[in-house]
Amino acid sequence: MKLHRVNAVIARHVYESRRNFDRVVDTLWWPTLDVVLWGFFSIYLTHGKGLQVSIVSLMLGAAILWTMFYSFQRDMAVAFIDDLWCRNLINLFSTPLMLSEYMAGIIVVCILKVMVGLLAASTIAWAAWSFDIWPWLPKFIPYIANLLVFSLAIGIAITGMIFRYSTKIQALAWGFAGLLMPVSCIFYPVSSLPKWLQDIAWMMPTAHSFEGMRQVLAGKGFSPLHFWWGAGLNVVYFASALMFFGWIFEKARSRGLLVKQE
Amino acid sequence: MLVEVEHLSKTFGEFRAVDDVSFGIEPGEIIGMLGPNGAGKTTTIHMVLGLITPSSGHISIFGKSMATHRGEILEKVNFTSPYSTFPFRLTVLENLKVFARIYNLKKPRERIDQQLERFGITKLRDKAISGLSSGENTRVGLCKAFLNDPELLLLDEPTAYLDPEIAWQVKNALLDAQREKGTTILYTSHNMDEVERMCNRIIFLHHGKVIAAGSPIEITQAILEEEREEPALEEVFMRLVKGKAA
Repeated sequence: MKLHRVNAVIARHVYESRRNFDRVVDTLWWPTLDVVLWGFFSIYLTHGKGLQVSIVSLMLGAAILWTMFYSFQRDMAVAFIDDLWCRNLINLFSTPLMLSEYMAGIIVVCILKVMVGLLAASTIAWAAWSFDIWPWLPKFIPYIANLLVFSLAIGIAITGMIFRYSTKIQALAWGFAGLLMPVSCIFYPVSSLPKWLQDIAWMMPTAHSFEGMRQVLAGKGFSPLHFWWGAGLNVVYFASALMFFGWIFEKARSRGLLVKQE
Repeated sequence: MLVEVEHLSKTFGEFRAVDDVSFGIEPGEIIGMLGPNGAGKTTTIHMVLGLITPSSGHISIFGKSMATHRGEILEKVNFTSPYSTFPFRLTVLENLKVFARIYNLKKPRERIDQQLERFGITKLRDKAISGLSSGENTRVGLCKAFLNDPELLLLDEPTAYLDPEIAWQVKNALLDAQREKGTTILYTSHNMDEVERMCNRIIFLHHGKVIAAGSPIEITQAILEEEREEPALEEVFMRLVKGKAA
């Protein structure tokens, strides 16, 4: 892997982010909106309902972390779709650029965008509701790492499917994470799900991350169990996503789909 | 041989797009690849670039197998087609800077400015791709194709969308590159006069097969099956389209 080629992909998407209003909205608007919405909702729950003030922290913390997860997965697939829409893949892949360099560049750009979104969301949460996520972040880092690895796995799998089925299934880039939302147990504990859904939820690294995060916010400390379950599941999902992507990319190249670009 | 293509075939389901095609290109040659639509020209170029995996056959460039040395080979190769475009919102300069980074060019800005001047689009440097005409976009593609000073240039209809004056400029730029740097060029076009003027040798494809290869006059005589003193590729093409040479 050559660093200058990874840098080229980063530069391409940084230029795009600067000039494309849609990408600015994706990076800043949705994280901000989520925090505002959940902030008001949690304030409503605490007023006159006899609920603890920590519900605000739980809701806002969860909203911020879910936004990170969702943004990362969406931005990965959308970065690829951007090249597909403008028929640039043929230009890129007729150079020495390797698929791994292309994906590495996109991942770096997504991490940068997630950091910008996190900064925006946490600033709003702090300014509007005095919720400061930063002191919590060191304890959240293992869970955040699991969330990002899982969103990376999903982003890779969806990008692979778009390689194969083209823009016909591009809606997955924006919608797939929504499918996982109910079983990720972002705003409620896994125990509140019916038993059969609980079994599915425990197969989601996201559910383990949010359970672990709730334990931290409730003052019960870091849960190695939830971290290691999440990490173990991620190994399986990430390895599967990489194998799937490698297989489907070769399939797309064999069928000439890389140059069809529709 | 700089390029060796041996028994190359590609099938998409039941359709055989390229059928047992073999040819070689010597260093410094300009080779024209001609044929009607669907003859297999673009698929062949895409296989040479590694964008499509061949069903069978072997491609070697600079004495190395494309299947195993793709990255290394493509450092010294470039390609353009008017049918591929660049990210619409990026400016011409930004797009070319991305490719300059991919090729790890020394003094990228200088190199970019040289190419913009060569193809007469310096004034478009800070304009977004979305604001360019098709012809201007084609010229940006040509700037990209010359960025890394390639030893082998693959051009898929490089003068499509260009007005005659600009097309003439482009042809001169290609001939200059071949004369001054010995650039080898594989060229597809529907413009027979252009091919006659530009190419040392022609490969004529029809229904995925090479039906004739040689100089323009040799091709003319082979397809028309008569003695001629001047190449008549237009006539050859028409004969093929009507199915008389199939």
